[in-house]
Amino acid sequence: MDIQSYISSGKLELFLLGELTEREREEVLSLAKTHPEIQRELDELEETMFAFDDMTGAVPSQKVKDKIFSTLEKDFILKEESKSSSSSSQTKVIPISSPWKPFAIAASIAAIVASGAAFYYADKYQERNDQFTALLQDQSVMADNLNQVNQQYKEADSRLDKFVAGDFKRIEMKGEGFDMQKDARVDVLWDQNAQEVFIAVNNLNELSEEFDYQLWAIGDDGPVGIGLVNTGEKLTLQQMEAVAQAGAFAITIEPKGGSKAPTLEKLVVLGEVA
Amino acid sequence: MQEEQIIAGLRAKDRKTTEYLYDKYSRALYAVISRIVFDKDIAEEVFHDAFVKITKKIDRYDESKGRLYTWMANICRNSAIDKLRSKEISQSGKTNTIDDFVYGMESQSGTQEQIDGIGVKELMIELNDDQKFIVEYIYFKGYTHSEVSEEFDIPLGTVKSRVRAAIQVLKKNVARI
Repeated sequence: MDIQSYISSGKLELFLLGELTEREREEVLSLAKTHPEIQRELDELEETMFAFDDMTGAVPSQKVKDKIFSTLEKDFILKEESKSSSSSSQTKVIPISSPWKPFAIAASIAAIVASGAAFYYADKYQERNDQFTALLQDQSVMADNLNQVNQQYKEADSRLDKFVAGDFKRIEMKGEGFDMQKDARVDVLWDQNAQEVFIAVNNLNELSEEFDYQLWAIGDDGPVGIGLVNTGEKLTLQQMEAVAQAGAFAITIEPKGGSKAPTLEKLVVLGEVA
Repeated sequence: MQEEQIIAGLRAKDRKTTEYLYDKYSRALYAVISRIVFDKDIAEEVFHDAFVKITKKIDRYDESKGRLYTWMANICRNSAIDKLRSKEISQSGKTNTIDDFVYGMESQSGTQEQIDGIGVKELMIELNDDQKFIVEYIYFKGYTHSEVSEEFDIPLGTVKSRVRAAIQVLKKNVARI
């Protein structure tokens, strides 16, 4: 392979920006292992990005630094305690002589009770603290979910606007006439003026990994592929590619990714435009 | 400190290493965030969360999948973009006006005031318009390259080669200064 043109393709930059897919990342990593010049280029680019960031940024305020380190304090302390606790267990035993003995015993008991209570409350505190952290995490998960729902809502809303404003024709595609799936049913919604096509899957069998359902608009120029059908989304609307002119719509089973021309033996449903 | 020492120290929750990490990288990482998130208070909040996240997630960082700075910068960049998009939604009504929350490099109140030290403009002076555009959208507005390609109808391959060319110019300028 031509390493120089691989380097100059821009892929390494996107790798550093975190924009490659998992598969592409693997490719870059394994090529970097076998080609030192790719690794060198990656290192130089990273240096550049770091230098650019470091030179152009403002120093964050002391306030945020203090806040970060106070947040992290708990982790440091846990670590430092576990280091020191092992060395401090050697204590001297002092023999207790007579007149102070009862007081000494009472004081010891008080000390034991007090430290017992201290441990108990420290434990409680830790428990509450963990609960609080868990709640904070839950809250941020919920905020994320809300954002997602919000986005979905907007999409649905804009789709609804289209349907209210548009002039959609409903074409039922059925599998009755064919051998593949007698009970298959998929509806096409088509706005001829806006050239927009949606489909709603009513009933379609799941396909194995190697195949896809492909939708065809059949017009004067013969069948034109206008997108793959997602069977997972039953009864929700999927937007397909634009169509200006068609006498019928049909779905066939094609190898994964779709074909240029339909495999007519694997015609599943067909519906004519009334 | 070598990168391996830093990583080992962070994993051991060592205070000194964390301080070293902060001193060495805080400015660059904060730059990654603050050029996407305009508001200083929000940028510092994102930076706080991202830095804490880095120290917590260090156990899951895999050295064989890329260098430390890249990993940290991506955490910061993604946190900033998430923040930007969640803000955008809470402002509601308007859609995809990322521009509202980001300072354009050309604007009068722009980047130049936001920074001390070397000007962004000085570093970018030799970029041509196409490269400037790419850097603005990808670096300052948090777009992915495929978003730039779709939104401005530029072929993906062209976006990639412009990213490459722009960073090459920056590399030269960074080395010169």
